[in-house]
Amino acid sequence: MEYIGKFITAALLGIFLQNCVFERALGLNILLYASRRRSNVIGFTLGLCYIMMTSSALSWCLDNYFGDSSYYPMFAPVLYVSVIGIIYTVSLIAVWRYFPKLFRQIKKFVHLTVFNCAVIGALFLNTQAGEDIISYIGYGLGTALGFFIAGSLLYVAHERLNSELVPSVFRGMPIMVVYIGVLSMVLHGFTGYVV
Amino acid sequence: MFSPFGGARQTTHIICAMEKSKYRLSDGLVRQNIILMSATAIGPVAAVATNYHNAVALSVGFTVIAFISVLLCRFVPKKLVYTLRVIIYALIGALAFIPAYMVVEHLYGKGMLETLGVYLPILIVNPLILTKTETRFSLRPFHLMLYELAGYITGFNFVCVGVGIIRDLAVNGRIGTLEVNIAFRVPALSTVFGGLVFIGVSAGLFRHLYNKSKESKIKKAEKELRRQKLMEELT
Repeated sequence: MEYIGKFITAALLGIFLQNCVFERALGLNILLYASRRRSNVIGFTLGLCYIMMTSSALSWCLDNYFGDSSYYPMFAPVLYVSVIGIIYTVSLIAVWRYFPKLFRQIKKFVHLTVFNCAVIGALFLNTQAGEDIISYIGYGLGTALGFFIAGSLLYVAHERLNSELVPSVFRGMPIMVVYIGVLSMVLHGFTGYVV
Repeated sequence: MFSPFGGARQTTHIICAMEKSKYRLSDGLVRQNIILMSATAIGPVAAVATNYHNAVALSVGFTVIAFISVLLCRFVPKKLVYTLRVIIYALIGALAFIPAYMVVEHLYGKGMLETLGVYLPILIVNPLILTKTETRFSLRPFHLMLYELAGYITGFNFVCVGVGIIRDLAVNGRIGTLEVNIAFRVPALSTVFGGLVFIGVSAGLFRHLYNKSKESKIKKAEKELRRQKLMEELT
């Protein structure tokens, strides 16, 4: 029961209080790309869920073994990228071998799901969620679900934000970034932020 | 080889090459600016470029990471499948982070590294390294690649430092250590949401200015063309 509590707390932290998009501004470029279609949002979220949970578990091992070294902050990106690279290669080979149809569908954007700042950033932030592997995995899942919430909110507004109602120079990226900023402000309000 | 007596044709070639170089430099600087036009590196600027010093430190880190990574990524064999190449690009980015970390630590101390937090290491998976290397930089001859890369890096640095200066001014009433007496303060600009709204609005205004300058250039060119035609008719 204690482990379930830890897992849920870390996941909720990743979804709301430390939302990768609204609170940390991580993964904005892939969010802008993914929010064009509902299927993209779901596909990216599933990819993020998988890669975040597996790489969080492995990064916990790395943090535990090398975390005390004074050089660790300098070499951590190399280790994290290696971990992600291994998971990515093994998973892609498995999908290619056993689900060739799925492989053809995902191969164009799967690298965007795996190598982005939301994944790397969340691995670095994992230590804030707790010190055991359960919290790490929970935070990884929370980050992916937080991305899903952000992607869904942006998808809902996508059509209107790109309509004739918006001045042409603001249409597309500028107004969407402003919109993400406004949503971020709302979330800050919920967490009790006072200027 | 260029000779000062090379004739009109050679001079035209050189002028054309210079014009092209200018065009390539301004491509990353303006037309495809990675913050204001394509929003591929917007997160770190919105989150940590809250004052002048942070912005300069972030720019230094980005310059080192992007320059070394793109330069080394050029030597990755094209025979490898993209699935493997993208991992190598990310690994090269992660290796380039080591000198960036050392440079920032040397110039600004450990405190700055803590302030920049996760936003310095996440630059290693920037689309400039993972995507643009593949679709743009590796397709160009080496010297042109350097021109274009310089344009992209300068574009990031200009916007990052500009955002840092404006936020420093609006939040703290100073630029770096220089005190500026302004009557108002906008403390919300130091937050992530303040940064996002500010960058979004700046991107819109930047596009407006870019469109205006493009229109005026087209008008000027049309005017010049009409003048030339008139001269031809007269002669």
